[in-house]
Amino acid sequence: MRPGDETAREARRRRVRRALLGGVGVLYVVSVPWYRGPDTAPVIVLGVPDWVLVAFCCYVGVAVMNAVAWLLADIRDGEEDAP
Amino acid sequence: MSAGTLGVLGLGLYLVVLGGLAAVAHRARRDLSPADHFLAGRQLGVFVLFLTLYATAFSGNSLVGYPAEAYRRGYAWIMATAFMLAIAVVSQMLVPRLRPLAVTHAFVTPGDWIRHRFRGERGCVAATVVVGVVMTVALANFLLAQLVAMGHVASQVSGGLLPYWAGVVGLAAVVLGYETLGGMRAVAWTDVLQGLLMFVGLGAMLWWVLGEAGGLAAVTRAVAATRPSAVMVPDRQACLNWASTIVLVGVGASVYPQAIQRVYAARSGQTLGRALALLTFMPLVTIVVVTLVGVSAIPRFAHLGAIEADAVLPRLLAAWAASGPFGAVSAMLVFVAALAAIMSTADSVLLSLGSVVAGDVLGRSGDDPRTTRLGKQIAATILVGMTSLALVPRLTLWRLTELKMELLVQCAPVFLLGLHVSRLRALPVLIGVVVGTLIASAGVLTGVARIQGIHVGVLGLVANVAIAVVGSGRRS
Repeated sequence: MRPGDETAREARRRRVRRALLGGVGVLYVVSVPWYRGPDTAPVIVLGVPDWVLVAFCCYVGVAVMNAVAWLLADIRDGEEDAP
Repeated sequence: MSAGTLGVLGLGLYLVVLGGLAAVAHRARRDLSPADHFLAGRQLGVFVLFLTLYATAFSGNSLVGYPAEAYRRGYAWIMATAFMLAIAVVSQMLVPRLRPLAVTHAFVTPGDWIRHRFRGERGCVAATVVVGVVMTVALANFLLAQLVAMGHVASQVSGGLLPYWAGVVGLAAVVLGYETLGGMRAVAWTDVLQGLLMFVGLGAMLWWVLGEAGGLAAVTRAVAATRPSAVMVPDRQACLNWASTIVLVGVGASVYPQAIQRVYAARSGQTLGRALALLTFMPLVTIVVVTLVGVSAIPRFAHLGAIEADAVLPRLLAAWAASGPFGAVSAMLVFVAALAAIMSTADSVLLSLGSVVAGDVLGRSGDDPRTTRLGKQIAATILVGMTSLALVPRLTLWRLTELKMELLVQCAPVFLLGLHVSRLRALPVLIGVVVGTLIASAGVLTGVARIQGIHVGVLGLVANVAIAVVGSGRRS
């Protein structure tokens, strides 16, 4: 593989990783039921209140996207001075 | 055989296995250096690293304190899944930058990074010491929470044969013993056993709780009938508290000294990335389960007081044990799993406390065997102090966790901003940490824990970051 290909691949991995972490941020905002009327009686879906199910689904999404972001992370074993 | 006797036997067997692992770890040590004692010679692989991170992050609070909090707050405690996940999310800002530096410069303690980042600057030494002191106070508080949880669980697992104080003192001595004997190796290997026990125990627990109540929908209906607010959509203040807790725990726990030291202790960067990818799923299979367990206790124990509610899990298990021989054995296994979770956190905290005080607060050399000895002595002294405080619990386990996080989160800018903002300077960072800590402490001392649901520690963090960034900007 040519050095240029390697650099392009690295750049793509970084972009995908940033997009995944952006998605994680969006899911966190959606997971908190701030947009629902407070103290309203919820609908029970799959055995739990609907706002709990929404939050749970968001957190499943967060876990998947965050795990992929970790696998794409370039964690080196030396050098790289900060920042 | 009574449930109490069975519990004592199970506990005894578990302690024997722990002792064996500690002895093997003691024989496996290579030298007396701090890197070997505190970081296991930097050789932790994916499986051990994953389970030690899991057992460390998911503590006694997760297994004992979180069902109690779910009992108090109802389904809104699903927020705990969010903030535990946030630890692995915020770590994305920390680990990929810190790891290469840790390897190149052979860091042992969190303060090694601060000394490296701000070397030669005015305020560098003071920043290292202040961050070390704040971390020490936060960790000592965390240790206290584990000791309180140990006392509750040991007393319940033995059906009262072991009194609360004996659980605190006896198990503290066991933790100190294997941590002193085998260092990080013993801690990580026992964490593997403890992590597996925790995982299996929680699965069994959920199976029983839901089976007993007739399924999840039946649990929710019973909860709604007993305490309607437990299923209602949270109000604005509760939503703000939800968001604030994600920030508080996500940012605060990402700079746990014991977690930072595991970043240093990994065999390679790739190993670390894989372990963290696995870890990110654990809140879904751990915290969701303990939340459901706590919520299911609402109709069963309708009117427990705040401190009393900390014993929700032991009470549930006692009910399970009374249901027959299978229930007794299963409940005993879960009890031991809970104890394992608590001890695995306590051992990691203790190990970090010794190294942070010796290396960062007292400034001892990171490659001198005498530092290892001093670290062990400090750990023992702090443990004795915290054990005496744990004998009379005054706060709920969750409040102890919040207090720890409100302090710990003030150390985060030194790491998270220090790794990403090149113009950051030591003096403004130091002033930021001090101001943030004073704001958080003022909240604690005046009894104002939250303002409109937002933790005082998060407000302190905002001031802390503003001072560090604006102050550094002026200088450059």
